[in-house]
Amino acid sequence: MAWIDLKDVLQRSVAGVYGDLVTRRTGQAVRCSIEQMLPPTDSDLDIIDFSTVRLMDHSCADEIVGKLLLQHGQARYFLLVGLDLSHVDAIAPVLERHALVVVAQDRAGTLQLLGTLPEPALRAFRLLADTGPAEPHEVAARLALSPAAAREALETLREHHVVREQAGHYQALRCA
Amino acid sequence: MTRVVEVPPHFDDRSFDQFAMSYGGGGGGGEGDRRRLLFDAHAAQWASPYGLLGLLTAGQALAEQNRERPLLTLPQDRDVLHYWTRTGFAEHAEVYFELHGRVPRVQARGDSDVLLEVTPVRGADDVHEVVHHIQERAATILTHELGLEAPATMGFGMALSEACQNIVEHAGTGGWVAVQTYTWRRRLGRRVVVIAVADAGVGFRRSLEATQAKRFGDRWGDAAALEAAMIQGMSRFRDPGRGQGLAGIRRYLNRWSGKLSVRSGTARMAMVPAWDDDVPLADQLPFFPGTQLLIIVPAHGE
Repeated sequence: MAWIDLKDVLQRSVAGVYGDLVTRRTGQAVRCSIEQMLPPTDSDLDIIDFSTVRLMDHSCADEIVGKLLLQHGQARYFLLVGLDLSHVDAIAPVLERHALVVVAQDRAGTLQLLGTLPEPALRAFRLLADTGPAEPHEVAARLALSPAAAREALETLREHHVVREQAGHYQALRCA
Repeated sequence: MTRVVEVPPHFDDRSFDQFAMSYGGGGGGGEGDRRRLLFDAHAAQWASPYGLLGLLTAGQALAEQNRERPLLTLPQDRDVLHYWTRTGFAEHAEVYFELHGRVPRVQARGDSDVLLEVTPVRGADDVHEVVHHIQERAATILTHELGLEAPATMGFGMALSEACQNIVEHAGTGGWVAVQTYTWRRRLGRRVVVIAVADAGVGFRRSLEATQAKRFGDRWGDAAALEAAMIQGMSRFRDPGRGQGLAGIRRYLNRWSGKLSVRSGTARMAMVPAWDDDVPLADQLPFFPGTQLLIIVPAHGE
């Protein structure tokens, strides 16, 4: 598992003084540094920690979240932690523009799905996040979905790498 | 021989077109007119950050055209001249103009109305510095004096960053930024914080010509270029993640009832809030080089 403190990456890769993620050039440099820090194993969880970042603009959000997910999101599992409202404001349009989805976890451990997915998938994620791992038939029963709709919703989440599937159980990404 | 360019007594975004007309010679000047210019600001009573940056941009444009260094007659009013100096304008004007009138020594007072003095923007490091300065120094002022909530202050930094990046990413030359607070008397009657960003660069039309002109056909021009950028989120880069800075600024200002105005070449497009009486689009304006951007965020809770 990689825990990537963004402010630390910023200060090592671009400048030792600044604490803000601004400008496209900085975003590119930080993203490249993150990519070098990612462990070779794809199956683990990669956590990107925004808690020490004061400000992030759209250009950095596009590089650090958008392009990182576009280039690695199909092979890796990313979890964003420490986001505040202003970070989400910068990230949300990026995700929408690229049709991406990512999981964010706040300090209380609450999971939030950022990005746009069909309604059944969003509801399924909420269920997994709130109640823990579940099989498709359990999701179908709890959400009053047909078995096929529940399975489709869970597979949509799995394909976007925001849940994992193991032995028929689907589990939302989470940092313990 | 010299040609006089009148600086409006009240110099802001509303009188800017008058200034641009005078700068362009009012029809009498043109590309072939190489007379030395005298910018006459002796009667100036007030200039917004937008006006001051416009003046600097004019000087910069002339320098980059290898024109003879223009003259600038400074305001006769002592208080006005002190204010122009306090904003940092005079220090940068000395580079581009031969100044007539003595620049007063002004001690830094840490006034709360000048949140960011006139600052050149040439590269990404400058944008970092500007944002850092505002977050460190101005956040408290924005919160306590203008009543902006924390999310509004953070978004302000984002808007400032994206506005300045337009210079770095697209202008093809350096530019300027300034941030101030003052009372917006026209209709609103409350304090505002203003970001002015200006450059003497290529402008939106030339920047987008290669990728967008064909799509617009005969309609292509400065106004169409602004539409492509501000409404459709188009960029000269083919990267689909590009072209979102202005959209981000618009979202921020929409949430906090702010105003965005972008002038480039002969057109100006604005996102006009209810408290303002500007027009969303003005075309066939007197030409002015580069791009001039204005962001206004009103105080809350007054």
